[in-house]
Amino acid sequence: MSRRILLAAALLSLAGCRRSGPPSDTLRLALINDPVMNAPLSPDIGSVLINKVIFPGLMRPSDSITPEPDLATGYRISPDGRRYTFTLRSGVVWHDGKPFTATDVKFTFDRILDPKSGTLQWSDFSVVDSVTIADPLTVDFWLKSPFAPFLTLLGHNAGIIPAHAFTGPIADQVDFNRSHPVGTGPYQVTESVPGSYIVLTANPKYYGAPPRLSRIVFKIVPDVNAQVAQLRAGELDLVTLEPANLRGLADDPDLRIDQVTVPQHYYVGFNQSLPLFKSPLVRRALTLAVNRQAIIDGVMRGYADYPQGTIPVALREYYADGLPTIPYDTTAALALLAQAGWHRGPGAVLTDAGGRPFQFTMLVDKGNPSREQAAVAVQQDFKRIGVTAQIKTMEFASLVRDYVTPRRHEAYLIWWNTPLDPDQFSYYGTGQSNNDVLYSNRTADSLLAVGRATLDPARRRAAYLAFQAVEAEDPPVLLLYYPREVQVRRAQLMGLPALGIRDALRHAEKLYFRAR
Amino acid sequence: MAGFLVRRVLQGLLVLWLVTTATFLLIHAAPGGPAVLADPKLSAVERQAIEARLGIDQPLATQYLRWHARLLEGDLGRSFLYQTPTLSTVLTRLPNTLALVAASLLLSLVIAVPLGVAVGLAPGGRLDRTVGVINFTSLAIPPFWFGIVAILLVAARWHLLPAGGMVTPGQHDLGDRLAHLALPMAVLALPLSAELIRFLRAAVTGTAAASHVRPAAARGLTRGAVLRRHVLRNTLVPLLTVLGLQIPMLVGGAAVTETVFAWPGMGRLSVEAALGRDYPLVMAIALVVAATVVTANFLLDLAYGWADPRIRSQA
Repeated sequence: MSRRILLAAALLSLAGCRRSGPPSDTLRLALINDPVMNAPLSPDIGSVLINKVIFPGLMRPSDSITPEPDLATGYRISPDGRRYTFTLRSGVVWHDGKPFTATDVKFTFDRILDPKSGTLQWSDFSVVDSVTIADPLTVDFWLKSPFAPFLTLLGHNAGIIPAHAFTGPIADQVDFNRSHPVGTGPYQVTESVPGSYIVLTANPKYYGAPPRLSRIVFKIVPDVNAQVAQLRAGELDLVTLEPANLRGLADDPDLRIDQVTVPQHYYVGFNQSLPLFKSPLVRRALTLAVNRQAIIDGVMRGYADYPQGTIPVALREYYADGLPTIPYDTTAALALLAQAGWHRGPGAVLTDAGGRPFQFTMLVDKGNPSREQAAVAVQQDFKRIGVTAQIKTMEFASLVRDYVTPRRHEAYLIWWNTPLDPDQFSYYGTGQSNNDVLYSNRTADSLLAVGRATLDPARRRAAYLAFQAVEAEDPPVLLLYYPREVQVRRAQLMGLPALGIRDALRHAEKLYFRAR
Repeated sequence: MAGFLVRRVLQGLLVLWLVTTATFLLIHAAPGGPAVLADPKLSAVERQAIEARLGIDQPLATQYLRWHARLLEGDLGRSFLYQTPTLSTVLTRLPNTLALVAASLLLSLVIAVPLGVAVGLAPGGRLDRTVGVINFTSLAIPPFWFGIVAILLVAARWHLLPAGGMVTPGQHDLGDRLAHLALPMAVLALPLSAELIRFLRAAVTGTAAASHVRPAAARGLTRGAVLRRHVLRNTLVPLLTVLGLQIPMLVGGAAVTETVFAWPGMGRLSVEAALGRDYPLVMAIALVVAATVVTANFLLDLAYGWADPRIRSQA
């Protein structure tokens, strides 16, 4: 018995050693996995986030989401839109002290343009034909065709890596990728403990505004409940959460909850190679049958915007503000379905002329409460008009690899998370690589092609507004909502731009803690 | 003795082969695929490049043979997720798990041995009933829930101990490590000591009533001597067995506790590897854990011999 008392005393004395309150010059963030610290590789969300801090790109998204020069000081575009000439910042040095030059830019993009290197950005830049060095501070990008999203994509995940640090394939340089990465960013990696944390220290030679914190620590915390607990215990300073995880946090005087719009749209996709979903009338009807507001209020607890087309409200410039919002109207839905040959039979079940019921399987990934609940809500709404959707939950990897990629899907609840650009040609253009719903509309094709190739902002905007009008008549997907990213931060943390965390971290040097 | 050793080594190798083969079949039979391929944005070109790089474009039989061929060269392959050599990835995590589980095992022994013996000697007493209630409660509480509640109270509300991780980043003193160890250790030790107490109670009750104990007391031995020489000595062998059953956890890690406390151990690594369909990493973990368990069981058999001379003479 006395031994237990001794133990308790020992624990208490240990507890006494703990300092109270966070040191105000260290920002602590969570990653859900051990990152690969090499921008062109970035195979997962943890890597993407930390690489935004370590490896700046030629551009970065500004507060107003338009790209601004970062490692470049400026650019010139040839009249045919196929050549971009970048002037690089002079005097920039890598974290190891070597100078940053055009060689590094070419080295990085030669890796990105070679899918065998292990990069996951090949498709972002497949329009780039080659990169050439004009002089140590000037680089030319030669494009196969004019490509309006190019500058935005340069500021998205395309961080520049140092040519001098690699002797073989970039994926094989384990020490660089896991422990000692070298970038040009405001914070540099000084300690890395696998599975535990990575410490970044302010880079005194940073080319931009001097970083205001002395350290940023990325802790590996895979479990969201553990993240919330650490946030409450004062061991994390900023966490992005799903609305379902927010319970109790609003009452904590040390924390603030911010919400920002992000370029994501959540939807139910229908495989339009199947006769069931071919007709635009049917897809419009299904779209009218869903009570989105109930999903936004109930499942998303209000942390989402009501959708119209596939271009979310976060892309302010291109979002069609004037379009009528999608109503919730089961009567109109049934009328459209009747036009398409579907009538309510016995038991209020919707059947076609041959008496076959309107039924299909709807896939949703396992483990995310918002999406699983949204799927059930959609299923109930469909049931009200006599449509039977059977929900099948499975791991996300299985959904993609076993169903969507081999086109074995009927319907599925999923989302796109895009760069800050309205170009959706690869998602909704006929026969394009990411068009998993197999949507095909000639007018949409040409508008998306124009939007992608037109550099003039006004004409580009007009093309996307017209595209959204087409979507209203012939919906490519059943839009559910545009989620807002919920960022819970320590109240003293300041300087965070009103962008999603991925883009906000491109501005890490601006973050600081105000005095209590 | 030499024949015994050779036999045991061959048996051990057979077990390892069976374990890795079963693991290989199971992980490839699971739906889905490597996490990096789960990105719907990948184009066909990228997908093929990744599959070729990971070697999963080959037929399964080829992959299986290739894994063994590499193993003979001491190469356990490269993790899909971490892009690091799997063996070193596993070996950096192993000490973390050993520290956590060994500490919990020790704590549970410190709690369970005196309590288990005490209740075993007086079954049905007041202490026995109190301990029984606590035992059943702690066995019934899911460790996930218990861990979260412990963090919310001890770390978030009272700020007594850290909420997770193994150290405060950048800090390397022993006190900090122990403070981080305390909560997960306690959460893991609770159900463990409950199990040990239940077990010891049964063993001690049984032995104390055995036919050789009463004559020992009759010979005039003190109560302490009877306890030490006749009761405790005889509960040692079954206690070793129960501890032996905990060995897989000692190396395999406690996935749930490690996840809740963001503890960088083998349990969390295994879960990540399995969910991410990191075939080489799953194989390496299976091999390392199986090899350790086989070795530990062998050592345990030797320990039986030390605890009970009758077993020694049979071997």
